[in-house]
Amino acid sequence: MQQSTNQINLEQHGAVTLFNIRGDLTSFSEPFLSQAYQNANTKGADKILLKIDKEAYINSGGIAALIQILALSKRNNQHIGITGVSDHFKKIFSMVGITRFADIHESVENALEKMS
Amino acid sequence: MNERAIEVRLANQIGYERVAMECSASFARMMGLSPERIEDLKTMVSEAAINAMQHGNKGRPDARVIVFMNCQGDTIHVSVMDEGDGIKQFPPEPDIEKIIENLDPPIGFGLFLIKKLADQVEFNAIDGGHVVNMAIRVKS
Repeated sequence: MQQSTNQINLEQHGAVTLFNIRGDLTSFSEPFLSQAYQNANTKGADKILLKIDKEAYINSGGIAALIQILALSKRNNQHIGITGVSDHFKKIFSMVGITRFADIHESVENALEKMS
Repeated sequence: MNERAIEVRLANQIGYERVAMECSASFARMMGLSPERIEDLKTMVSEAAINAMQHGNKGRPDARVIVFMNCQGDTIHVSVMDEGDGIKQFPPEPDIEKIIENLDPPIGFGLFLIKKLADQVEFNAIDGGHVVNMAIRVKS
């Protein structure tokens, strides 16, 4: 079976750096997320919005990879938002505590308005 | 196998858990499980299969994971079997505060989610392996 990969495009929207994450979130996502984060951090990002595909498959490995980004952003005093999450994964993110460290937004537009 | 049952035999390779996940969703839909609980079931099956592949079968390519599902009364039962020795010691529930502060490793989410989402779960040794038995009620 083909290993899943991610394509993450960084877009600047005012003060917010948008991570446009294409693909599933699994343990294989960790190096892609980490690299994208390092790129954004090097450029001085202080507000980061993670946009996930609505149809993305997210498993515990992907959750761990996301939490590692939350940990890095907390250490660097960056604000994190997440959007594109289905109702099921909103519930899962709340269960594991992700929502204590990142705000979940209904849409990119909504997130940019609140985070700017 | 009774009439309302399916069995899926998976290659021991990460990614194949999605086959079991989709089969469980189709089966649950036929049994009348709500869309919201189908999503919960998919996560339970996926995480149990990943644990079976990684921790039970320890990534051995010749090993297999068997997923058996049946519906009895108003309850869907799912068993995920591997060829391992079972869980010697359950990890503590993941504490995100400690993980964020780098005091704990980011592990244990799979078991945590299975326990949270299933109406009932048990872990048992079987002949030649280990099984996770999970149940989810069709009408809760």
